[in-house]
Amino acid sequence: MRRSLSILVIFIAIFVVLPGILAVVGGGYWFRVTTTIGVFAILTMSANLVSGTTGLMTLGHAGFYGIGAYTAALLATGLHWPFYLTLPVAGAVTACFGILLALPTMRLIGIYFAVATLGLGEIIHLTLLNWVGFTRGPMGISAIPGIALDGLFAASDMGNYYAVAITAALTAFVLGRLAHSYYGNALRAVREDDQCAASMGLNVVRLKIQSFAFACFFAGVAGALWAHTTGYISPGDFRFSESILILAMIVVGGLGSLPGAIVGAVILLGLPEVLRPIGDYRMIVVGAVMFLSILFLPRGLLGETSVLSLMRRQFGLAWDNAKQLGWRQ
Amino acid sequence: MFDIFFVQQLVNGLSVGFIYALMAIGFTLIFGVLNVVNFAHGEVYMIGAYAGWLSITIFAPPLFVVILVALAIGALAGFGLERIAFKPFRRFRDEASLKSKAMREATLLSSLAISIIVRELAEKIFGSNMQTIPQDYLLLTPIQIGPLSFASGQFLIFGLSIVMLGGLQWLLKRTQVGLSIRAVANNPMGATYVGINTERTIIATFVIGSTLGAAAGLVVGLYQGAIFPAMGFAPGIKAFVAMVMGGLSSIGGAVVCAIILGVAESVTTSFFAQGWGDLVAYVFLVMTLIFFPTGLFGGGRDRV
Amino acid sequence: MTKQCRTLLATMCLAIFSCGAYAQNKTVAIGYQAPLSGEHAQYGVLFRNSATLAIENFNKSGKLPGVTIQLKFEDSKSDAKEGVNIAKKFSDDQSIVAAIGDFSSGVSMAAAPVYAQNKLAQLSQTASHPDFVKISEYQFRNITTQAYEGPLIANWANANGAKKIAIVAIQNDWGQSVVKYFADAVKANGGEVTETEMFNPGTRDFRSILTKIARSNPDAIYLGSFYEDGSAFLQQKVQMGIKQQVYATSSLYEQKLLDLAGPAANNVYLSTTFLVESPEPHVQAFVKEYEGRYGSKPQMFAAQAFDATNIVLNSIVAAGGANATRAKVRDALAATKDFPGVTGITSFDPKTREPSKILTKLQIQNGKYVLLK
Repeated sequence: MRRSLSILVIFIAIFVVLPGILAVVGGGYWFRVTTTIGVFAILTMSANLVSGTTGLMTLGHAGFYGIGAYTAALLATGLHWPFYLTLPVAGAVTACFGILLALPTMRLIGIYFAVATLGLGEIIHLTLLNWVGFTRGPMGISAIPGIALDGLFAASDMGNYYAVAITAALTAFVLGRLAHSYYGNALRAVREDDQCAASMGLNVVRLKIQSFAFACFFAGVAGALWAHTTGYISPGDFRFSESILILAMIVVGGLGSLPGAIVGAVILLGLPEVLRPIGDYRMIVVGAVMFLSILFLPRGLLGETSVLSLMRRQFGLAWDNAKQLGWRQ
Repeated sequence: MFDIFFVQQLVNGLSVGFIYALMAIGFTLIFGVLNVVNFAHGEVYMIGAYAGWLSITIFAPPLFVVILVALAIGALAGFGLERIAFKPFRRFRDEASLKSKAMREATLLSSLAISIIVRELAEKIFGSNMQTIPQDYLLLTPIQIGPLSFASGQFLIFGLSIVMLGGLQWLLKRTQVGLSIRAVANNPMGATYVGINTERTIIATFVIGSTLGAAAGLVVGLYQGAIFPAMGFAPGIKAFVAMVMGGLSSIGGAVVCAIILGVAESVTTSFFAQGWGDLVAYVFLVMTLIFFPTGLFGGGRDRV
Repeated sequence: MTKQCRTLLATMCLAIFSCGAYAQNKTVAIGYQAPLSGEHAQYGVLFRNSATLAIENFNKSGKLPGVTIQLKFEDSKSDAKEGVNIAKKFSDDQSIVAAIGDFSSGVSMAAAPVYAQNKLAQLSQTASHPDFVKISEYQFRNITTQAYEGPLIANWANANGAKKIAIVAIQNDWGQSVVKYFADAVKANGGEVTETEMFNPGTRDFRSILTKIARSNPDAIYLGSFYEDGSAFLQQKVQMGIKQQVYATSSLYEQKLLDLAGPAANNVYLSTTFLVESPEPHVQAFVKEYEGRYGSKPQMFAAQAFDATNIVLNSIVAAGGANATRAKVRDALAATKDFPGVTGITSFDPKTREPSKILTKLQIQNGKYVLLK
């Protein structure tokens, strides 16, 4: 009962109230900010699965985001595929790349893994930048068709918003189910002590690769959304600093906490926009807010432990024997 | 077929590698003790360069005085950085906090936040363009040895990295401070139990690491003729990569790997386009980690 | 000032006076997006200085009585995400009739579809990506593209006897066009490009590239970079004892280059549209005013922004001042012809909206830019 009520409230908030408010007072600008936040929320939620839940800190998420964006952009401009095809295909392609690149690095632990992903992210970025024949290099790809369907609706702020909102909601649903289930517990076991987890019969390498593939899939989808909603992409959008930004969002929100990831994206993208009136000094304030939030709440604004019980209470998610929820191995 | 061209490219690569090495030394020292990435090391590097540049424009002292100024400011910056970005997070000493992943990554974000603030402040104060360095201080005097061309800065950077590396080895192996640094790096709890002042040791580590970083920033800034707020970012990534390739705990290993990175970049440039040079360096990194999962010179501490 | 232009201004003034009666103190705004923080903040600051100067001069001049032009400046951090947000913000703001910016082609092009969709004219002072003005009929720029500059320098170098030329350029959209147009022109003249090197943005060490270039033994080197990379390149070239003559793009026309590179910059050939020492009175007036206010002489980028702002102001006047609408301003912009700016006379091609300008040849001699006849 409570579960369906909570879900209903969130649904109404995302699909009715928020766009309503935006349409009435915000206009295109706040629509755009919300869309960007939505795209980054997908990125942070997916990165959170790897970095937070599975405990493999990734510093190369922007690279996979870039693969998704370029896949979608090349398919949409070269082969004229509509967005409902490019989105899943971009995700699938990115996931394949993720698995391919992650297979050899999955033996790595801790900081070694983080730096390996940093290397992978940079390799992807430099390839996008220097492989001029295929990606058009620094020229970027322009005139990517927007989110539109012939005869049904044309590209608009509202269309972009709903595309991003629906995808983000789906992402949250899938990742929420994954993270708050027996499967999620297995991932957490890998994070806390992979040797112990292996000795209890979990296939650690497979779990790591799976979670990485899921994360890459959604990063690719986010990239495709970014490409379609923006219309122009260039390698500069997928630099290392974007990976750091994503990581910062997760840590501000709380490592391992799904709602925290969304909150982190809202804060670190919303705050610079809200602070526009103070002009040159806004990035200093953003840095200060980041610092203070981590100083007083080192586990993040919505820490993992509190979020787990929240999820169980409100959504009936997280392992619950009586309801046979979750995924048994 | 012997071609002097490749020797020159090797020299170029070595000089780039030593720049990364200079930065990696301080970075590795700090990482070794606290086991956390210090994102603000690049800003310490930048502060060192600016301190030196300010002293040049105001007093125009001899070069070694400029370096001393950078060292002093670097020490101050290191002390301040530790107090602001790292100290507050050691208040959680219970076991759950020590084990929590989120807690361990908190300092990563606090140092990142400090680095953003410092960089933006530097932009506000000095502007984000490169500072003009008086020509006499540029370490670009050509030195021709046979068909090979060198710059005075290359020798200084080479000498400085040898001195830093040697000095640090001496400090770590032969002095009381070094002993306690190694003890804390190995096991902070254990070090506390045997009566080592962990707090003071950590501060000492930051001060030493940051002085090295600041000196590196100044020398590289003068050598490249480029002192600007974001100057620490790119070499910072390479230093980070070199440290991990070297196996985290080994400062010498980090230096060797920094040089490997530099040479890889320059050799790639001589065969392909420069754009692919960085890429090859990262491919090197990933390959190294695949075949040596704990870095080339790691192994002392396999599970971090 | 040409006669044609004077008549144009006169008609404009007439038009304004006739409608000035019912336009009492109306505010018309121009949106300006440029990086004020982040890695390209130094350029954004120049743009803001110039644009503020242009707008204040305009408001004082009384060309549009009863109308105040307002400048709305937003920081894009040289980040495409923020650039698009600002474009939306400007589009929402109905008082804004035209937008200027962004600095880099990447951010300008990310913002461009938004402006096109909202039918708001966008004029970039620096975006030189070949596709930028092709995005829609709402995109303009007042910077010369390499399609013009490249062949000019190539012919110049060839005329000076350099047949084999090596090209070094930054790996971005602009650098790509530097290489393309210059190489094409050299080949058309029967010359040879010995080596083409693109360096990644942020490169500080050019020794590997220089060694490679020296080995290919060209007669001259063509350098396409910003002044910061340019000064490092020139210094390292001198240090390595490479003697070849350097030709450079107009982006190296910047006092800061001389400060940074010192004697290493001597003998470089380059071209520019803006000349601080130009004897023309309106250029001198601009240089004097800018220096008086901001303490340094304006350079190419500042001048580009000054002209961009003035071109937009001119179009607002042509579009009816207080009654200017976005559509009218766009049409007036497209009709810009023989605009007498500080970077020379600017006209927009009616079809392609590409600007045409005149480049002056310069050489750096003894730490100064010297005009070549």
